[in-house]
Amino acid sequence: MAAGTEFSPVEVPLARPRTLLVGTAFATGAAAMFFAALFSYYFSVRNDTLAWGAEWFPEGAIELKPGGSLMSTFAMAAITMAWAHYASIHEDRTHGYIALGLTALLGIAAVNQTVFYLNDIALPIDHSVATTLLFVIVGAHMVMTGIAVLWMGLVLLRAFGGQAIGRHQDLVISVSIFWYAVVAVYSVIWLFIYIAK
Amino acid sequence: MTDTPLETDDATALERVVTSTDANTLGRYWIGAGSLTLLASLVAGVLVALERLDLGGTEVFGSADEIFQFWSAHRVGFVLLAIVPILVGLGTAVAPFQVGSDSIAFPRMAAFSFWTWLIGAGTTVTGFLIDGGLGTPGAGGQRQAIALTLVGLLMVIGGLLGATVSLLTTIVCGRVAGLTLGRIPLFSWTLLVAGTFWLLTLPVLAANAVLAYVDLRGRTAVRFGAEEAIWEQLSWAFSHPQVYAFALPLVGIAFDIAPVSVRSRLATHDVVLVLTGMLGVVGFGAYAQSFFDTPGTPVMNEAIYVVGAFAAALVVLALFGGLVDALRQGVAISQSGTGNNPPAPMILSALAMLLLLAAAVVGALRAVDPFDLLATSATGAQMTLTMGAAFVGTMAGTLWWGDRIFGRVSSQGLGLLAGLAAVVGVLLLGVADLLSGFMGQNDFTGASVAAAGSPDSGVDALNLVALVGSVLLLVGALGWFANGIRRLTGVAAPSDPWGGHTLEWAADPSAVEVASERPLLDALENSGVAS
Repeated sequence: MAAGTEFSPVEVPLARPRTLLVGTAFATGAAAMFFAALFSYYFSVRNDTLAWGAEWFPEGAIELKPGGSLMSTFAMAAITMAWAHYASIHEDRTHGYIALGLTALLGIAAVNQTVFYLNDIALPIDHSVATTLLFVIVGAHMVMTGIAVLWMGLVLLRAFGGQAIGRHQDLVISVSIFWYAVVAVYSVIWLFIYIAK
Repeated sequence: MTDTPLETDDATALERVVTSTDANTLGRYWIGAGSLTLLASLVAGVLVALERLDLGGTEVFGSADEIFQFWSAHRVGFVLLAIVPILVGLGTAVAPFQVGSDSIAFPRMAAFSFWTWLIGAGTTVTGFLIDGGLGTPGAGGQRQAIALTLVGLLMVIGGLLGATVSLLTTIVCGRVAGLTLGRIPLFSWTLLVAGTFWLLTLPVLAANAVLAYVDLRGRTAVRFGAEEAIWEQLSWAFSHPQVYAFALPLVGIAFDIAPVSVRSRLATHDVVLVLTGMLGVVGFGAYAQSFFDTPGTPVMNEAIYVVGAFAAALVVLALFGGLVDALRQGVAISQSGTGNNPPAPMILSALAMLLLLAAAVVGALRAVDPFDLLATSATGAQMTLTMGAAFVGTMAGTLWWGDRIFGRVSSQGLGLLAGLAAVVGVLLLGVADLLSGFMGQNDFTGASVAAAGSPDSGVDALNLVALVGSVLLLVGALGWFANGIRRLTGVAAPSDPWGGHTLEWAADPSAVEVASERPLLDALENSGVAS
């Protein structure tokens, strides 16, 4: 295509756009809406079921210990992610690697615990509307955790590959935004599904 | 332009197609693929309209379930496989350059999103064709095929979400210095607003689809995957008010075209920014589903739904008034050798806004409880008018920016004729379905008079009018498609055929000082050339 309308050049200040952060914020918002929808359906159907005097989960089907253990894992992972964030801001690469590695490890542990929990619940997925919703919500959260762990692995690879510190910071902050969303979603699962049932 | 190395190496044509991350090229892919699925969905619409000529039995299809599969395929195809992708394509090809960026943010993700959507669209269409679809009232579909359709739909949603994230990030982060959010061109602004609401609502639709899929794949569907209940959970995305959020960028197209066409500034730029934001808010439709019914009161009878319907009508009326005022202020620019005729994109975009206004009025009428229109064909009328308006808007947009996107000239006359056919078709369809709704015809008419509702004798004639409307809409789409094909072999286009005001028409956006929402007009005025 031929050149369009031409004008004499002007001096314009260049600001570094934080593209990755903004993109991550949009993507995390979309993921949050996915879970918000699932939680809305859960609470809505649960209210209707209880209003009819029907049972939601059978007595004793949902144990507190595995859910609590998972919450502890995610709480620790939130702290190690904050550590990684702090390290990247202060350009402390060594601590950054350790903190990111630990967070990824805790994420893998969380996926492992979730798989154990889903196998441990003595209810089939099609036992009732409640179990279908439980399996979908917990399963979707496990997928979200897996994506976050993979992303952390990518950040670690790029950081080990000598990524510039400025770019590295944006990468760590981006993955931390997503990771905090993972922890926040699990907190809702723990409080309102595992504890309140 | 950011691109993959393959495009500059000795790559084969196929490798170039598959690996391209160029915004303009990706935009062409979206528009091309979207136009093909548009034709397919409109053919499904014509077949369903033909079937409705005999409400007492089946003429075209074999059963009520088959009719339902095509009826729902038409709606899903028209919205998620055609109009929204075409708008995404137009946005991908235009918005980065409107904000002065030379590429789209996350170009590989943008490319991946297109291919994900394309494969998902193919999977969805296949699911519909092999007796699947999104469930059937009589549970007569193939469960595996329904599952396949749901997987396809999830891929479609994933692709659209990825492309939207790329687009929004480009608009937010790719702006040149001086181009504040209040100054970005209105097409980019409406994409930003609409895209934000797509990011807030498409994941909700994905949650519906995941629940249905998981339940369907279980041994016995407990609720969400029950074949007769799947559409009920997904239909909110294809009706009022969600369709406003999908169609919103057409407002930006109209308001970008009008001031340039009449050689004036848009005095109400800031007002349009606010009004389009409000239309986005009232277009948030994820709450309008049966999960949120309170006992005895469907959510569609709740105050939020009714107030939203009337608010949408008022907002669209204000926007239409603003557009008419902008057009009134000047004289249409003359195209070379055609005298003072207003340009085709201006006419089409104004008509698209008129259709949107008609859609909003139908939406408001539908929300009035005594009319009892919620389950009637007025629902289809509102969807057709809104998405039809968006289609006519994209026709105007492709005529306006097509020279820039494709680098070749198309026929403005053929484009205008195709657009007018589509406008008349959408109006006939919308008005006929609205009147049928008042006569009690159900939204889905089934294959018996009982299933069709309680139609009076006039419904048969109205259904004939609706069929003529569907055919005209299809003819308009075919004309638009043919014009696009003609463009591929047309002569090279001038770089700025309209004397544009915004950065996509500049040879080097970084060389333009941005001090208002019309930087090129500023530069021309400052250099002493009267606009």
